[in-house]
Amino acid sequence: MALSRIRNFSIVAHIDHGKSTLADRLLALTGAMDPKKAVDQVLDSMDLERERGITIKQHTVCLPYRARDGQEYTLNLIDTPGHVDFSYEVSRSLAACEGALLIVDAAQGVEAQTLANFYLSLEANLTIIPVINKIDLPQADVEGTRRQIAEILGLDADDAIPISAKLGTGVPEVLEAIIHRIPPPPGDPAAPLKALVFDSFYDPYQGVVVYVKIFDGRVRAGMSALLMSNGRVYEVQQVGVFTPEMRPVEELSAGQVGYLTAGIKRVADAKVGETITDANRPTVVPFPGYRDAKPMVFAGLYPVEDTAYQSLRDALDKLHLNDSALTFESETSLALGYGFRCGFLGLLHMEIVQERLEREFGLTLIVTSPSVRYRVVTAAGETVEIDNPSKLPPAGEIDHIEEPLVRASVFAPTEFMNPIYRLAQDKRGEHRALEYLGKRVHITFDFPLSEIIVDFYDRLKSISKGYASFDYDFLEFRPSDVVKLDILLNGDPVDALSVILHRDKAYEKGKALAEKLRAVIPRQLFEVAIQAAIGSRVIARETVKAIRKNVTAKCYGGDITRKRKLLEKQKEGKKRMKQLGKVEVPQEAFLSVLRS
Amino acid sequence: MTPLAWSPRQRGPLGLYLHIPFCRQRCHYCSFNTGPYRPAAMDRFLAALLREIDLVGEAEWAGDVAIGTVFFGGGTPSLLEADELETILDRLRKRLAVAPAAEVSVECNPESLSRDKAEGYRLAGVNRLSLGVQSLDDDLLARLGRLHSSQEAGRAFEAARAAGFDNVSVDLMYGLPDLDLARWERTVREILAWSPEHLSAYALTLDEGSRWAGEGVAGLADEETVTAQYWALARLAREAGYEHYEISNYARPGFRSRHNQVYWRAEEYLAFGPGACGFLGDVRYGNVKPVERYCALLEAGHLPLGSHEVLTPAQRTAEKVILGLRLSDGVPLAGLEDRRPLIDTWQSLGLLEVAGDRCRLTEAGFLLSDSLFVELLPAHS
Ligand SMILES: Nc1nc2c(ncn2[C@@H]2O[C@H](COP(=O)(O)OP(=O)(O)OP(=O)(O)O)[C@@H](O)[C@H]2O)c(=O)[nH]1
Ligand SMILES: [Mg+2]
Repeated sequence: MALSRIRNFSIVAHIDHGKSTLADRLLALTGAMDPKKAVDQVLDSMDLERERGITIKQHTVCLPYRARDGQEYTLNLIDTPGHVDFSYEVSRSLAACEGALLIVDAAQGVEAQTLANFYLSLEANLTIIPVINKIDLPQADVEGTRRQIAEILGLDADDAIPISAKLGTGVPEVLEAIIHRIPPPPGDPAAPLKALVFDSFYDPYQGVVVYVKIFDGRVRAGMSALLMSNGRVYEVQQVGVFTPEMRPVEELSAGQVGYLTAGIKRVADAKVGETITDANRPTVVPFPGYRDAKPMVFAGLYPVEDTAYQSLRDALDKLHLNDSALTFESETSLALGYGFRCGFLGLLHMEIVQERLEREFGLTLIVTSPSVRYRVVTAAGETVEIDNPSKLPPAGEIDHIEEPLVRASVFAPTEFMNPIYRLAQDKRGEHRALEYLGKRVHITFDFPLSEIIVDFYDRLKSISKGYASFDYDFLEFRPSDVVKLDILLNGDPVDALSVILHRDKAYEKGKALAEKLRAVIPRQLFEVAIQAAIGSRVIARETVKAIRKNVTAKCYGGDITRKRKLLEKQKEGKKRMKQLGKVEVPQEAFLSVLRS
Repeated sequence: MTPLAWSPRQRGPLGLYLHIPFCRQRCHYCSFNTGPYRPAAMDRFLAALLREIDLVGEAEWAGDVAIGTVFFGGGTPSLLEADELETILDRLRKRLAVAPAAEVSVECNPESLSRDKAEGYRLAGVNRLSLGVQSLDDDLLARLGRLHSSQEAGRAFEAARAAGFDNVSVDLMYGLPDLDLARWERTVREILAWSPEHLSAYALTLDEGSRWAGEGVAGLADEETVTAQYWALARLAREAGYEHYEISNYARPGFRSRHNQVYWRAEEYLAFGPGACGFLGDVRYGNVKPVERYCALLEAGHLPLGSHEVLTPAQRTAEKVILGLRLSDGVPLAGLEDRRPLIDTWQSLGLLEVAGDRCRLTEAGFLLSDSLFVELLPAHS
């Protein structure tokens, strides 16, 4: 296929600005999707994506398009997620493209991930087409949005295309702009094969399905493919494109985006950033490779039923096949038994993994309070990384502890500046920069990561009536006065409830945590004492009084079945309880560490 | 599937429960299967009940297996005239092997029990009355929706005695709205002064289907108060020489309710009347609940079976333990071998006692019994 007839682009934006809806329109307009059969956000094909109305994974689709110039083009569209947890998905998608549609919601304006994704697109050297979406909304401010695109992003505002992805207004212009403004992919079909792996997933029948962008040469079934980073050679079994279903084709050639299968067993063997070449006629210089997605947040996952440990391992193995950002290693807890310490990109990622494990694999899980990864420098001068509070060495062996910091962008209307600064202060934020953008501000802060993973975003949204947006990137490790807060039930420490936090916050948190636990731990046959302690110093104490009565007094004319059903209902309620020593603790108790 | 196809495990005496599904007025706390009393409806029901007895009487075992206890419950069984009750009992004796020494009990409401009626019942073969007194506080009785005063309750008790009943039980309720501990103790003392042979006392529960559960009720007692009332009753009854032989039941020696013990020992019993529950072999069954439907089925010559479940051996074993632990006699330890840690915990908390080869709940354990029973349910039921 002639390179001049190919266009490869991603759709990027802040969360919910309408990427997937625009993708729907593009599919319909090019005839890739029968509009009668179409559902909204058709590319969001995972159950969880559909339920939550968000995109989690990138989705690639190949569209045939007859342009106004009468020529047939092939457009390769990649829809990307907007949530900050999944920006890794965005950046690897961009590597397969020459252009990006940067969508901005006309009612919201430029937001934090708009800027973040704009920078990602710039770094990837892409041609950016600004698109102003949702112009059908009564509160749409097209001119204001144009101005922001010019002022904040420095793009030519006249280039922005106003559209309504919902109604289809302006979408034909978007297609023409793709043809005219985005350059065709570079490449030489006659050169040795050089293909970039930008994603992959595991299919139980075909093994690993690798998403590739062909930079040079051609690939077809039967070829010997060499994976240059690890030297492995595979025979290519199938090549094809996404329509969005997988459709085999004869050949993929320079400039094209598609997939190949080659009997690869593990996703880890064909990593993102890998260079695939012809084993018999290899290319000379491979791609530089790609950084792995790095987990930022860690938590213990334990099955409520001890016997489900192996099932949990199998389930994590399976999820990991398609989610390389998820890491896990086995660990044991005195309180919870055998489980796994898992690493996630953020809390949304963690919730999604937990939900999938419970739903798709029928597991009932306890998730311990999420923690960031600390660097502990010991008195002996060694550095150890700690992502599990219970692994923190005794205070006497620690020289100092460093915690991860992030640089964060907050976008908001000026009227919310005060509460935002207050929130930032409460979260140990350090102000870095302030930029006025008409009626809005862009504030840069440095935050300890631990302060923003849990409830920062929700609080930011609520103090700004939903108008503030937020994005962050890892910055550095910095020494910090953090301590370990322990929780004791009837005198016994519960390792899974320990948290590492800043000394200034320990007292308040300990109190809140003890109160929260009192509320969620049900009354038992005996009194339960809850203590929060730093080292041997108890800083808060609460008591769950013993239950006084639990009895079915009457029996209804021998209706034993009814009585048993009542008992079974009680028993159902106890299913999610974990026995810690003699104390029964509900699953929520572990989450309350997170929420208090 | 009908009870006729199921046969009793035991050849020994069965219990027999009859449900009389009418009341003059529904009490506000009541969720039982009962409807408004109308003479015509009662007549139709009685005809159907006799029909049901006839049908069950066709079972091949009907003539051989002794009936050891008969219990008329409701509803308000004392709405039955003595001759109506006699007709039912006669039919039972004709179709089934009712033992000559069977315990025959009737639940009575004070306002519908006259001395004449009591005498008629006794002549018909009833040998035990259970009187629904509930409270001796006239304000409370009115709030509960009862149709009698405390004075009428006393008179009804005397009527039972005068008619020659030497086995009378009294039903009481505690944990009632605005009932304080002192008033409850006075009530219990007064009742004990009547010297009934048997006493049942239930803490108020707001069961689904009752008026109070639907509309809510003010002044409900807190857990502390209900617990204190339980202990006051236990103490006063003990001092007066009663045995606390089941969670909610007290009796003078020799006067435990034989019928109720059939339930707690997981023995078998037959059921008659709408919504009545029975247990035969491995099967727990219940009749259809609406009176109209009950009658219509019998008029068409069908048994009025509504639902049934076949217990697995594990369920049967578990039920035997759970029900047995409601009794002060407890259960053999042998059935609890694999639950040793649980038993030890309960013992160490003073909720359970082990004596010889049996174990039983203490009075403190009775109060928390559901917490233990939940643990004793079979794993996957
Ligand atoms: N009124 C109006 N609503 C729109 C338009 N485009 C999208 N929406 C709505 O905006 C919401 C978000 O749309 P999506 O297409 O899922 O947004 P997204 O950018 O893909 O979201 P993420 O993938 O989660 O980042 C949905 O409720 C859409 O129906 C539009 O042009 N007009
Ligand atoms: Mg989307």
